Amino acid sequence: MARHLYNKIEQQQAPAFFVRGPSPFARLAFFSVLSLALMASDSRLQYLASMRQSLQTLLHPLQLLANAPTQLYLNTTEYFSTHDSLLSENQQLKKRDLMQSIALQKLNLLEQENAHMRVLLAAQVALKESSVAAEILHVGRDPFTRKVLINRGQNHKILPGMAVVDAAGVIGQVTRVYPLSSEVTLITDTSLAMPVQIERNGLRAIAFGHGRDSTVDLPYLPANVDIKRGDRLVTSGIDGVYPAGLAVATVKQIVSAPDTPFARIVYVPAGGVENHRQVLVVSKPQLGSISAPSLTEPVKLGLNQAKPADKKQSMPNKSAKPAKSSDAHAR
Amino acid sequence: MPVNKLKTLYFSVLLAFMSLLLPWSQAALLVRPDFMLLVLIFWLIRAPNLCNVGTAWMLGLLVDLAAGMVFGQYALAYTVTAFFAVTYQRRLVLFTGVQQLLYVFSLLLISQVMLLIIKTFAGGQFIGWLYFLPSLSGVMLWLLAMGLGLNTGGRGRAN
Repeated sequence: MARHLYNKIEQQQAPAFFVRGPSPFARLAFFSVLSLALMASDSRLQYLASMRQSLQTLLHPLQLLANAPTQLYLNTTEYFSTHDSLLSENQQLKKRDLMQSIALQKLNLLEQENAHMRVLLAAQVALKESSVAAEILHVGRDPFTRKVLINRGQNHKILPGMAVVDAAGVIGQVTRVYPLSSEVTLITDTSLAMPVQIERNGLRAIAFGHGRDSTVDLPYLPANVDIKRGDRLVTSGIDGVYPAGLAVATVKQIVSAPDTPFARIVYVPAGGVENHRQVLVVSKPQLGSISAPSLTEPVKLGLNQAKPADKKQSMPNKSAKPAKSSDAHAR
Repeated sequence: MPVNKLKTLYFSVLLAFMSLLLPWSQAALLVRPDFMLLVLIFWLIRAPNLCNVGTAWMLGLLVDLAAGMVFGQYALAYTVTAFFAVTYQRRLVLFTGVQQLLYVFSLLLISQVMLLIIKTFAGGQFIGWLYFLPSLSGVMLWLLAMGLGLNTGGRGRAN
């Protein structure tokens, strides 16, 4: 078959009027094999990771140049935004600041109390995490995956496996780190899994991205599972990657599916997975690395009531797990 | 003249690459034509002595890098497309405008189908028929370029 095709093509160009080197078919075969070899070595053997890093660094200035017009436009519109809108925004922010500072005060009190209790119980000290603010450079260009590029990288001490959150909840995890930027896989990508908990009853599960539409899946939950419309999913924190208690998604719809033994439920991500620019990269929770409480979300407060019930189960693996699980989730 | 043409070629490739790097999002990302492939097809048709299947492969690698994908995916898709473009390049002189458009459209489709096959092998999910929009918008862009007076070869044109 290939030979026949080859002959046919040869005939087409039979009288070589100009010398043009090897025939297109030979070139096709050569470069196809080369591409396949590249694909195999990149995806399976990971030989090209360092090369990609250096090439990406060379590309970075070009990327910034390409982003410049949009940046300029944003800056200009910001500059010319009217007095009124600024005032109202300021007022809103003040209001939110007030509410959050009240929540924060409560949080500090509760944290102190919690630490005290833990000492009394001779339990391990709760894990702490630090964070780096970042901005999204652009969304991924591959239509088959859900990824974004952020403007913080190796030079800013970003490590693969760190969680990325915005004001409303978790948006993803850092999967590739370049010197000046890093790639974040969003929670709606099929390859990302994260351990979650239903806020209302503490039920634990693992959430996967759905891929096609921007929703999240909780596969393999029994059909009679205790989940209601409007329930909130939060990170459970037992993986040692994500800080506990960050909002992940809310239940949007429960589909009755008599054909499967599993529940079919549609979850919508809580974080603005596709519409925020500013994000926070949160390091893996570590013992002892004390920093100012990085996340001032009221979510954390709500969870404290649900926690004592599962403390016993989650404590023993906390110390053993963190090293391993970071890689497993990135895959 | 070749030097001058070569300069134009490099410049157009750089321009295509820059427009690829623009921060596209949401709907714009869905309809964004494959600038790099369009430029490549243009040069494969117009100056087959300057670029060939190997050029397509190199440009494909560049796009792979920019897209943050596994190396070799766009490279393979572009290589196959370039093969078809080069093979039928000499017939193009006889094509009318509409025929040329169809030809370009099928080339764009070949590249997208190749990419879809590779991605499906790698475990990706088909995102629906909207996936093929870039081919359509690419042809529109080609038509626009022709309308603006770009000489893309073909019958009734001074070569």
